[in-house]
Amino acid sequence: MEYKDYYKIMALSREASQDEVKRAYRKLARKYHPDVSKETDAEAKFKELGEAYEVLKDPEKRAAYNELGTNWKSGQDFKPPPNWDEGFEFKGGGFTGGDAGDYSDFFEQLFGRAEFQSTHAGERHGAHPRGQDSHAKIHIDLEDSYHGATRTISLSTPEMTAQGQVQVKHRSLNVKIPKGIKPGQHIKLAGQGNPSMGNGLAGDLFLEIALNTHPLYRVAESDVYLDLPVTPWEAALGAKIIVPTPEGSVDLKIPANSKQGSKLRLTGRGLPTKIPGDFYIILQIVLPPADTEQAKAVYQHMQKTLDFNPRQSMGGLIP
Amino acid sequence: MKPHELTLVHIGTIIEEESLTLGQLCRACDTHADWVISLVEEGIIEPAGKDSHGWRFSSIHLLRVRSALRLQRDLGVNLAGIGLALDLMAELDLLRTQLNARRYVLEKKA
Repeated sequence: MEYKDYYKIMALSREASQDEVKRAYRKLARKYHPDVSKETDAEAKFKELGEAYEVLKDPEKRAAYNELGTNWKSGQDFKPPPNWDEGFEFKGGGFTGGDAGDYSDFFEQLFGRAEFQSTHAGERHGAHPRGQDSHAKIHIDLEDSYHGATRTISLSTPEMTAQGQVQVKHRSLNVKIPKGIKPGQHIKLAGQGNPSMGNGLAGDLFLEIALNTHPLYRVAESDVYLDLPVTPWEAALGAKIIVPTPEGSVDLKIPANSKQGSKLRLTGRGLPTKIPGDFYIILQIVLPPADTEQAKAVYQHMQKTLDFNPRQSMGGLIP
Repeated sequence: MKPHELTLVHIGTIIEEESLTLGQLCRACDTHADWVISLVEEGIIEPAGKDSHGWRFSSIHLLRVRSALRLQRDLGVNLAGIGLALDLMAELDLLRTQLNARRYVLEKKA
């Protein structure tokens, strides 16, 4: 088990006042809140922060934590000293808020596990408490939306043991990804949420769809975009090019005098959603390097023969 | 893990097609109808349908309500603040998506 330096997590000194603890939490919570922050590890950081705040905001827990001493380093292998918590008043379950199930082993070892809220659920749902609905995110490939697929998802579900303790159970679920699903949509799986604490039905599972980044294609809503590198003469003279799409290659006619960034549309070739999206090809003109005598000669020939000034709109400044 | 769990394929329903009632949404978000109604009254979510009995919610509402719950619980944001935060976050998402669609392959390599 690893030692957690709660002061370091909250960027506080050990002498920080309770007001400073609260201020630091508010500030960092805004920074790392998973809904707001786009930092890749925001969710992990936010959980860590919640745990640190849970301890440091409570004078009793904070005092107990301080009692461990200052010699521990973050991440160091940790065992609580015998009887260190003597005289403190937190009984099993030092949780007051947040997603209690997410706290670290370190926290649980010191302050106990969450008490399960079965009475709470029972009050709300009557004699046959239905299990809670649960949520998960599933990352699929672009091709999965084009063709449909079956994906396996790993889930952790809290369950109550016969002794009344909470235990996290891991399970895998094979899920059918219907053709034409798009990011942000949910798939509802009836009865795959949390189990009932009584003899009621299990809750439902809501799977939010997210797309993996694709090396070639980008997705906006139902539309799919491809950057297509072309030569200056293909763009200038027109050409027929074979272009990859998620549904296989297509022959594309590039009109003469196409400009850098020109957008060509293949209608209905985007994601096959209810109203199918479009497939856009964006021309990226790539200049051949002038790294041989021959190549230089071509550029010099253009320089001599073409009366071309790209800075016309700037007042025609030459050179 | 039992072997049969691996071979069984679960087929769900897409929320966009089977929209949620107020009760289903509340259950999915583990929250009270009163609170969802106040979100609608504040204009934070706009379900289809005339009154609370006829309201139907979709994936985007599910995401917004869960986000709103977290903002309230974790940051202590009030209703007006939640509306503002969600709208700004939606705009940020849209801008990111547009930026992503316009980003050139050459820039990506650089």
